[in-house]
Amino acid sequence: MRILIIEDDLEAADAMKRGLTDAGYECLHAPDGEEGLKAARDGEFDVLIVDRMMPKMNGVEVVETLRREGDGTPVLFLSALGEIDDRVVGLKAGADDYLVKPYAFAELTARVEALSRRRETGAVATTLKVGELEMNLIARTVHRAGTEIDLQPREFQLLEFMMRHAGQSVTRTMLLEKVWEYHFDPQTNVIDVHISRLRSKIDKGFDRPMLQTVRGAGYRLDA
Amino acid sequence: MRLPRLLRTTPFRLTLLFLALFAAAAAAFLGYIYIATAGEVNRRADKEISREMESLQAAYRLGGADALNQTLVERSLGERPFLYLLMTPDGKRLSGSIEESPVADFGDAKDKWTTFTLTETDLDGAEVKRPARGYQVRLDQGEILFVGADVGESESYVMKIVRALWGAGALVIVLGLAGGVLISRNVSASMGGLAEVVNAVRSGDLKARARVRGTRDEYDELAEGLNDMLDRIERLMGGLRHAGDAIAHDLRSPLTRLRARVEVALIEAENGKGDPMKALEQALEDTDGVLKTFNAVLAIARLQAAGSAPDPQLFDAADLASDMAELYEAVSEEKDQTFEAEITPGLAINANREFMAQALANILDNAIKYTPEGGAIMLRLRRRSSGDVEFSVTDNGPGVPESDRPRVVERFVRLERSRSQPGAGLGLSLVSAVAAAHGGRIELAEGAGEYDGRGPGLRVAFVIPPAS
Repeated sequence: MRILIIEDDLEAADAMKRGLTDAGYECLHAPDGEEGLKAARDGEFDVLIVDRMMPKMNGVEVVETLRREGDGTPVLFLSALGEIDDRVVGLKAGADDYLVKPYAFAELTARVEALSRRRETGAVATTLKVGELEMNLIARTVHRAGTEIDLQPREFQLLEFMMRHAGQSVTRTMLLEKVWEYHFDPQTNVIDVHISRLRSKIDKGFDRPMLQTVRGAGYRLDA
Repeated sequence: MRLPRLLRTTPFRLTLLFLALFAAAAAAFLGYIYIATAGEVNRRADKEISREMESLQAAYRLGGADALNQTLVERSLGERPFLYLLMTPDGKRLSGSIEESPVADFGDAKDKWTTFTLTETDLDGAEVKRPARGYQVRLDQGEILFVGADVGESESYVMKIVRALWGAGALVIVLGLAGGVLISRNVSASMGGLAEVVNAVRSGDLKARARVRGTRDEYDELAEGLNDMLDRIERLMGGLRHAGDAIAHDLRSPLTRLRARVEVALIEAENGKGDPMKALEQALEDTDGVLKTFNAVLAIARLQAAGSAPDPQLFDAADLASDMAELYEAVSEEKDQTFEAEITPGLAINANREFMAQALANILDNAIKYTPEGGAIMLRLRRRSSGDVEFSVTDNGPGVPESDRPRVVERFVRLERSRSQPGAGLGLSLVSAVAAAHGGRIELAEGAGEYDGRGPGLRVAFVIPPAS
């Protein structure tokens, strides 16, 4: 997996590069918008990490230019401003996800992972299957090893998201954003409570738990 | 060279400008009057001379030179203010009141007008020169008749008017200058106080205030405005300083803890004991706490600075309330609390969805956190009779004493007994900032009341205007 980091803060870029390299990604760094745009045009990347505020060409312009040229590479937008309308601007420009500085590194890797795998799931599926867990998206039913599991609508959505990102770490913020479609700091372990309810339904009575807690990051559904 | 301070003041300069304008206008006015009156004086004299000439010519036609001579003698003795001279065709004096015609080079002309100077000797024996007009005509039989008139009387009258006008102008200028100085002094005195305050503030004394004299004039208004502004700045600075201290306080302890843990873990790892992984996890958790505080402070500051909610959307408040109820009901039930929601559907609001969610989350989180196990929490959404949309969360926990309620909304204020709970004390301040940014407010009241060993509880109402 190749990642292009377009970021003018060299120290931040270096930390990002080291962390992502450790996580098994191949990273390239461009120190400003113009060079970033050039690098993005020249090379094949799986994910672009684009900072908003940069000299010469800002992040919004970079993403807009790429999208205009028909480049659909997933973009993770970074911003130190963190205003809500800033988020909207980034997403409107064509970014696929957005992260506000300062962020937890686990949040960054989880989102990069989610974006880098996005391209692989292309076809519209009517069923999802992860290990012995099966989800029918039309009938809205879930079975584990043949036993039907009764889920509330939100639990169903939560599990669907986990199954679509099976094997990946998913953070609490991502779940709140993608499943509940809210972007705020819930203060307490709101997501943990909902995950533990879901866990009690899909893992109870089975000897091997599928829904794992990833320390410092969030959760992962393993086959 | 610098002008004296008074002369550099704006009112004085304005006075000078107006004086200059007035002087120019007065000069133009005087000029016009002079031209108009002086011309009129000559015209009138000419008319009278013509009339006199006509009547003399009539006498001449009737009785010839003798009759005219007779008339001239009579008229010279009379009250008429004319000068007469009758001459032979070659210019020799026949009779009249003057010796010589002031008309030069008459030649063969039929008639001629002239302006001349009359020299007289007054009673004191001094020579007096006076302007005069004259008309000389050749009569039918060739004699020459001159009639003149002294216009000095009229002209000196005009000159008197002109002098009076100049005098008045000079008086106006003197009075104007004096007035300008007075006004400048007065304004300088009023403005001087304000300037002093500005200078004091500039050099760092935020406590300086302008004196309001109670005259209710524009200076008082300015002074009051300045004082209000300074009050506000001082409050904001105080808030900032307080927030700065609080951030420092709130960030210092977790940062210190973090540093200690990392250091201990390092020593332990060197000695081959302890669990470095666990220490790192703890460190990560501490860092997240710091980041949370940081983000909350940032959000409050941005909302307060913007004064309005960014990116507002039109949506049904009931959807938001249901989502939040669904999210937090699970948390509440973990604590064996009874969670109820009473949501009125179809209340449109124009608001920032994320900030609204954050505000409700903070209120619900507080309620769940501070209400003991087995307690009850109720989320309610309704329209007030005023039309405002009200979200309220009521619990039957210990509540907040009435005297403390205004304080808990302030930044970083945490009541003594809540110190054991995690949090930075920013929850309700953020809620209040969100409400204010939407043109609303939060209200704290007693909750369910005391019952069965519980309560009195707290009721937090988040009130914003409906979408218009």
